[in-house]
Amino acid sequence: MKPRKSSGLIALSATALALPGISLSDAPPAQSSAFYKISNYSEDDLERSESPFGDLERYDIDVHQFRLISPIGRNFSFSLDANHETMSGASPWYTSSDSNGDPIVALSGASGIYDERSEVSFSTSYYLSQGTVSGTAGYSEENDYRAIYYALGGSRNFNSELTTLSFGYSYSSDEIFPTDAALFNRVKHERKNSKSGVVSVSQIISQNSTYQVSLSISEQAGFLSDPYKLKDVRPSSKTQIAFTNSFRHFLQKNNAAVHVNYRYYHDDFGISSHTIDSSWHQNIGRSLRVVPNIRYYTQSAAYFFTNIADFTIPNNAYQSSDYRLSAFGALSGGIDLVFNYGRWSTILSAERYVANDSFAGYAVNRPSASLVKFNRFSIGFEYIF
Amino acid sequence: MISDDETTARFCRAMGSDCEFHLCFENTSDSQFVFKCMLDELERLESKYSRFRKDSLLSQINLTADQGEEIRIDDETQSLLAHALNCFEQSEGLFDITAGRLNSLWDFKKKKVPTAEEINCALSVTDFTKVSWTNGLLSMPVGMNLDFGGIVKEYAADTLAVLAKKLGVKYGLINLGGDIATVGYKPDDVPWKIGIADPRSTKTEIATINIYSGGLATSGDYKRFFIYKGERFSHILNPKTGFPCTGLRAVSVAANLCTVAGSIATIAMLKEEPDAIDWLNGLGIPFVAMDSNLSILKNDA
Repeated sequence: MKPRKSSGLIALSATALALPGISLSDAPPAQSSAFYKISNYSEDDLERSESPFGDLERYDIDVHQFRLISPIGRNFSFSLDANHETMSGASPWYTSSDSNGDPIVALSGASGIYDERSEVSFSTSYYLSQGTVSGTAGYSEENDYRAIYYALGGSRNFNSELTTLSFGYSYSSDEIFPTDAALFNRVKHERKNSKSGVVSVSQIISQNSTYQVSLSISEQAGFLSDPYKLKDVRPSSKTQIAFTNSFRHFLQKNNAAVHVNYRYYHDDFGISSHTIDSSWHQNIGRSLRVVPNIRYYTQSAAYFFTNIADFTIPNNAYQSSDYRLSAFGALSGGIDLVFNYGRWSTILSAERYVANDSFAGYAVNRPSASLVKFNRFSIGFEYIF
Repeated sequence: MISDDETTARFCRAMGSDCEFHLCFENTSDSQFVFKCMLDELERLESKYSRFRKDSLLSQINLTADQGEEIRIDDETQSLLAHALNCFEQSEGLFDITAGRLNSLWDFKKKKVPTAEEINCALSVTDFTKVSWTNGLLSMPVGMNLDFGGIVKEYAADTLAVLAKKLGVKYGLINLGGDIATVGYKPDDVPWKIGIADPRSTKTEIATINIYSGGLATSGDYKRFFIYKGERFSHILNPKTGFPCTGLRAVSVAANLCTVAGSIATIAMLKEEPDAIDWLNGLGIPFVAMDSNLSILKNDA
């Protein structure tokens, strides 16, 4: 039988375990890093049969993202995020029916849409011995939209650092001032605000597995309609709830990790959705990681969704032909390649997304005529210094 | 010393020792970054606590004490002092980091035995009970010098092991001149086999100790000793007599942390031989010791 550990050993361990480098407390990043990514999001054009007149080209978005993270002293970190997007193309203006009664789409005019969005945010985190406290403030602007937001969050470790409880709150105040409001009889100036709270628990299950569960509740109030659509009247408040589960497992023999996530969402517009996605992170040699991923999404329709805009009902009756409020399913798949060489790393990503009412797991009474298909490509660089 | 197909090795010289890192990376590409972070952390601790660097915090502390002033110290230094006080109490005053003057008095390069007067003078400013650091304000008697030998290198090994784990290293081993800390666990329940060098010839091994996790530290008159008038003088000094310790020749200890193993090994060296062996056995941890008759004592606990 092994002798019991003596009180002398326990006493010496007590002060040693309290040393700051040894206690497994959260710590700010040890190094600074700069990250830049450019992405192109391109929706497939409509078929002429889907839109008998006007422009067939839909959205094309170029996104530039920049991020700088740096430690300040031993307890603080600071990060700066800046994004710039340029959007061009057209979005559905209204839907009507053809001579057979099938829905057809009118896109937003031959001149199309051109918009730019710029966003900047600052975050700081303070690292305590058993957790973190963090805050973010941000500003986003388009030529018809402005948002100011802030977020506060914290986390606390328990159970010998195996369990982490996190919570967060965010608030956003948005202003909408559509272009050409007088010409198209659009609203001139509207506001909305959003509040959101989230709580999550992550648990280290074993040396190779972690599980995280989180619950978030959001409230939106104000002008929630799309000012550019001809007949789009939505309720002025929305409550959303989302329940997310993430499981990660590292497979030592394969030198790979598998991630599986499931999310359930429900809001009082009547939309419920399920998302399941999975990715395989395969390390190849010392400097390459290949990450194929696949995702399935399905949602039910909002109770006021219509696939053919009804111009006969009163102006204040709720209706929208926005395809994002219809019942549909979507499949997407992609691949990420991550190359690492010294202080540099490069990430290449490609994704194909196809939404279709035939993929829906929910009943589709009124299929939308303008569900999207898109490709997304991106290239990113990170430098650590 | 350690070879493992899955680990990447890096060697450097720091804290007056040959250091080696053997790390297995989860994201294999991170190695450059992780090694850089670890070398930076090692340099941070060395530049803060080295008694050989004039600009170190430790040198500033000693200089400020000489001027009879108090100095504000950070959390890390306070925690190290708390651990040093614990060692002082557990060893009944044998492990005393206030023996800085005594340590500088014995010059192991010049091979000279100090005079009784010099030793008495150094002992008059060696007493941990005279040090206080309430509210982060350190005060100690004029002339007293702190020396974190036996604590900081061990603490550095543990700190680097924790840092490596935080940076995503799967498993590995940190060896700072014989002060060893493990990172995570080797797969398939395989231990690290640590060879214990012979104090008389570091090229031969007297034993091996298997460790699965935690740390291992060795104390002994491996390199720093001299022979004067036929007597062997170890560099480990007894703060009560002012003379080199006369017990064990060397001891290697495995424990939950390298810092703990290092404290135990140092205390065991300072104790008289029979006491030391009894005390080590009572702790219930693995150790290998060589006594003054060059016999090897081993406890696999």
